[in-house]
Amino acid sequence: MLTYDYVVVGNSAAAINACDAIRSLDQDGSLAVFGEEKRRCYSRPLISYLVMGYIDEKGMYYRPTDYYRKRRIDFHPGSRVEVVDLERHFLETSSGERFKWKKLLLATGFQPFIPPVEGLAEMRYLTFVSWDDARTMLRLTARPLRSLVMGAGLIGMKAAEALHSRGCEVVVVEKMDRILPLALDEVASEMVAARCREAGIEVTTGRSVSRVETRGGYRGTAVLDDGAELDFDLLVVAVGVRPRMELAEEAGLHCDRGILVDEHQRTSCPNVFAAGDVAAAFDLVRGEPAVNALWPIAALQGKYAGLNMAGREVPYPGGNSMNAVEFFGLPVLSAGVVNPPDDSYEVIVRRGEDGDYRKVVIQGDLLVGMLVAGKIERAGILTSLIQERANVRRIRNFLLEEGFGHIHFPRSMREERIVEAVAGLARAGKGEEKRIVSHAQGSALSGR
Amino acid sequence: MKRIIPREEYCIGCRLCEIHCMVQHSKSRNIIKAFKKEKRPAKRVEVEERGHVSFALQCRHCDEAPCITACLSGAMQRDAASGAVVHDPQRCVGCWTCILVCPYGAVRRDAAEKKVVGKCDLCPDLEVPACVANCPNEALVLVEE
Repeated sequence: MLTYDYVVVGNSAAAINACDAIRSLDQDGSLAVFGEEKRRCYSRPLISYLVMGYIDEKGMYYRPTDYYRKRRIDFHPGSRVEVVDLERHFLETSSGERFKWKKLLLATGFQPFIPPVEGLAEMRYLTFVSWDDARTMLRLTARPLRSLVMGAGLIGMKAAEALHSRGCEVVVVEKMDRILPLALDEVASEMVAARCREAGIEVTTGRSVSRVETRGGYRGTAVLDDGAELDFDLLVVAVGVRPRMELAEEAGLHCDRGILVDEHQRTSCPNVFAAGDVAAAFDLVRGEPAVNALWPIAALQGKYAGLNMAGREVPYPGGNSMNAVEFFGLPVLSAGVVNPPDDSYEVIVRRGEDGDYRKVVIQGDLLVGMLVAGKIERAGILTSLIQERANVRRIRNFLLEEGFGHIHFPRSMREERIVEAVAGLARAGKGEEKRIVSHAQGSALSGR
Repeated sequence: MKRIIPREEYCIGCRLCEIHCMVQHSKSRNIIKAFKKEKRPAKRVEVEERGHVSFALQCRHCDEAPCITACLSGAMQRDAASGAVVHDPQRCVGCWTCILVCPYGAVRRDAAEKKVVGKCDLCPDLEVPACVANCPNEALVLVEE
């Protein structure tokens, strides 16, 4: 039985960033990646861009063609891992092959949640989470269709946008009272919904699909909870996702809404790590483990898992919910708490004349949430203040100003961030002139 | 690698760095054409100003760059040779995730391109980046590690 120093189960954001991190510390250790799909790593969030023709298939890949070879990764595409044995340190694939590992990363991601709607099991539908789904959508929409999207979360709305771009009639049905309920607040949800409606997408909220009937193939009829009937030629089910943790559960790892990991992305079994949409890792805004099934979070967790697997004990700084969306020319960014659960939070909002909208959520002296719609430039400064748990007492009144930036920080904080935070440059801006290679005047390099 | 350090005590808030940055990243690299005839590219340097204090800020080319980790498409990368954080407009889909995570607000939407971001690239074609070379008061300095 082949033994690898490192085995990664999964082949998406967390997996690839873990590989990068492992290789940054360990060039020689043997490393294998098991991917269930036959493709090399691609970016799932880009499938709507593929359908919309914004990128071609080449643009889907997250890393260059020679990625695995160059990093000396034994890539096992189309290889589903069925069993993980924690005691004897091996795994078994669906083809019955066994491999031993010294360190294991479970980055198995998520699966779409299929609601127990009557008739759904007999229907053909798309969940719009994979490249194959995108291809199927492209094929089916060669001629425009009447389409129905169940769920107005990010995946549902991206599917709606993609279908719309293909000339399809689109109806979105959302059980909650607004679209994108987790990523946005009421105001921003309505702003996005208005744009979608203007574009011709029918968005209906506070209603749900109680029954579907197949009319052959992807065609069917949906009956809503108020009795209304909708015929469709294509159904997209996008009501949520769940961590794919069966493998971990069957192996006996501690799980609770996700594979539980410590600050080193380590599971309840030493030498076994988890990262990405399957892992419940530290959420620095909530102060407890949470599953944030988002590409950037998966990538960050994968990176830290990889570093720790390769022997550098470095704690994951924690993530937080965050979203960047744009629909029909309206960009909206949000991070942390956008819908405060009680009145211990202070909410400050600002609405510009040109329809832009900004909001911050403060708890005590901490910025814990932000949302900007329309003008999104420089919003990352707010995100970073959330993540740094920075005391914003002295700058709170400026947070929503148009020109908000480091200029509003106390000078010491500004210098720390801008000058000193740049590695190895602690003194460069403060008179250690010999390290300065050029400025505008009197410099040999500038050619003046 | 090269890094640009702002010195706020020298900055006079003239914004020439912004102008020369935009020209350098324009199609023609000609100031008149860039401002009058072409779509103006995003400025990759931002002068922050309040009262008598000002300074110019561009991408810090962070060692632990959040934009690289967060990028959905792999467009944001570390250039192995220069160490700079570089952005590949061919792979960028304009999802704005980098804007969401950049602690410096140093990535912007680029109106000159279709749904793509622009950020400081340290002017790879120049020995000294345009903002540094054209600062009249040495408020931007280039350092090399």
